[in-house]
Amino acid sequence: MHIKGRAWTFGRNINTDLIYPKMWFRPTYEPGEMASHLMVGIDEEFPKKVKRGDVIVGGQNFGCGSSREEAAAAMKEAGIGAVVAPSFGRIYTRNCINVGLPIVVSPGIDEHVTQGDEIEIDLAEGYIRNLRSGYEARLPPMAPESLRLIQDGGIANYTRRVLEERRKASGAALA
Amino acid sequence: MHAISKIIAKHADRKTVEVGEIVNVTPDYVMLNDRGAARAADLLRNMGGDRICCPDQVVVVFDHHYPPIRQQDSISQKRTREWVKEQGITKFHAGEGIGHVIFPEKGYAFPGALIFGTDSHTVTNSAIGCLATGLGHSDIASYLALGYNWLRVPEVIRFDLHGEFKPGVCAKDIALRIAQLYGEDAAPYLGVEFSGPLTGKLPMSERLVLCNMVIDFGAKTGYIQPDEITARFVAARAPDRKWIACTTDSDEDYGRIVDLDVSEIEPLVAIPHDLSDVRGASKLSSVRIDEAVFGTCTGGRIEDFRIAAAIMKGRKLAPHTRMMVNPGSREVYMQAMREGLIDTMMQAGAQVGITGCGPCSGCHQGMLAPAENSITNASRNFRGRFGSPEANIYVASSATVAASAIAGCIVSPADLMTHQLTH
Repeated sequence: MHIKGRAWTFGRNINTDLIYPKMWFRPTYEPGEMASHLMVGIDEEFPKKVKRGDVIVGGQNFGCGSSREEAAAAMKEAGIGAVVAPSFGRIYTRNCINVGLPIVVSPGIDEHVTQGDEIEIDLAEGYIRNLRSGYEARLPPMAPESLRLIQDGGIANYTRRVLEERRKASGAALA
Repeated sequence: MHAISKIIAKHADRKTVEVGEIVNVTPDYVMLNDRGAARAADLLRNMGGDRICCPDQVVVVFDHHYPPIRQQDSISQKRTREWVKEQGITKFHAGEGIGHVIFPEKGYAFPGALIFGTDSHTVTNSAIGCLATGLGHSDIASYLALGYNWLRVPEVIRFDLHGEFKPGVCAKDIALRIAQLYGEDAAPYLGVEFSGPLTGKLPMSERLVLCNMVIDFGAKTGYIQPDEITARFVAARAPDRKWIACTTDSDEDYGRIVDLDVSEIEPLVAIPHDLSDVRGASKLSSVRIDEAVFGTCTGGRIEDFRIAAAIMKGRKLAPHTRMMVNPGSREVYMQAMREGLIDTMMQAGAQVGITGCGPCSGCHQGMLAPAENSITNASRNFRGRFGSPEANIYVASSATVAASAIAGCIVSPADLMTHQLTH
């Protein structure tokens, strides 16, 4: 997977309460609704400023705290190309993988990116580049299972496929 | 192998697993709260699933938005009730309390179990010697469709707790000390085991507090090796439950072992808006308290009410201070009434509300105004968690919260206690 986009930078320990405040929780969402509240705990104007393909670069422990999937799903919906940080909250990591949003661990990355820098990431080749500064780093290898889920577009597509296979198998058994 | 790896292996139908490996596991129980049930049912339909695989493993709890104050939540809860019936789910608890309080109470958590929940504080259950962890809504929807989830086998860090508590100090202060020493990401993706002579002496209520807090160090699950205290707790809660505890083979099975002497720990407070920014309670007397928030999955158990009532008995809240109390479960509420603890707290001026998450879910009464200060025995001081983003949340133990509500400013409970808290 190859990603190129403009960086938005955030600090350390950015929790999911800030990424997606609970006042915007809904039992069901209209298309685009989650994206319209992305990051408003930090910057109310962010949903208007962010463009499809942009990259979010966080500090250590980005996405810690509450399990709310909206924190990952809103980024996916907003068309975020990838989220990059030295480390992430655990449930947020799972949620990104499950919604098919490339989540990239890169030690020290927050010290090498400033707002607006052009970032290039290649998950298969395993590198990240700051095209403005020329900084380049190798990425720690990602579990193949996680990479596959992201490439497949998330756990919903995986689940649909397995359910379909099961239906076919039970149909074949009946025939 | 560590006991946590063995629990994963058992639920993956494998003899062994390796740290870092990703395997598919079938949990014993999956908890869906009101929000989780609504979202997971919605996502399950989008995934093309109509029937859930395993109604007997699913426990639905209404705690975050119950009783609902917004029409959208009453509509959603009506739909969830219908869905619960349709899907043949019989373990349904609306208004009985917070999922993480009632799970151990009702015996859903037992040694060696694997528990998932649609909430980060699901880790609380791991005090019983099981693996308990929070998952997102799509994760849970996929489980409901297929009957398994992917899980990475975590490395485990062990905290060996020893020494004796100073007066007014309890498990919450240990958790805050760990956050202070090692940060909000003390244990990213890791299992956190509590061990050592002090842990062996801690009652289950205190163990539940320790394991509740591990998510706020970044952990996947807590763990405490089951012992006599665990066995008695489970026997009282689920007498028919058959369980076998998993055990860790050797010290080689830990990524890291940390020694922690609790004797030097004082009553502690995490100041806004960072759980690892921790100070001694006795050094914060300049912080005036507008509202004390008492309850939640961290501090809403009967033992917390006993501690608070002992401090508040015969006293009044400071005139400028209000106190919002939400018992963690109906059982806690009724027991606290029987023991006269609710009476004591109300005599002191506390507002006692419904069972459930209280202001910590952001959906119940007690929201803060800008520039107000709150002290709470909940687990998080995140900006905006109790209402205004301009309000300040201080996190402390049940004893420190009760004492500070009386004093009207942050104080050490040791200053107000008539007798030492017994453990």
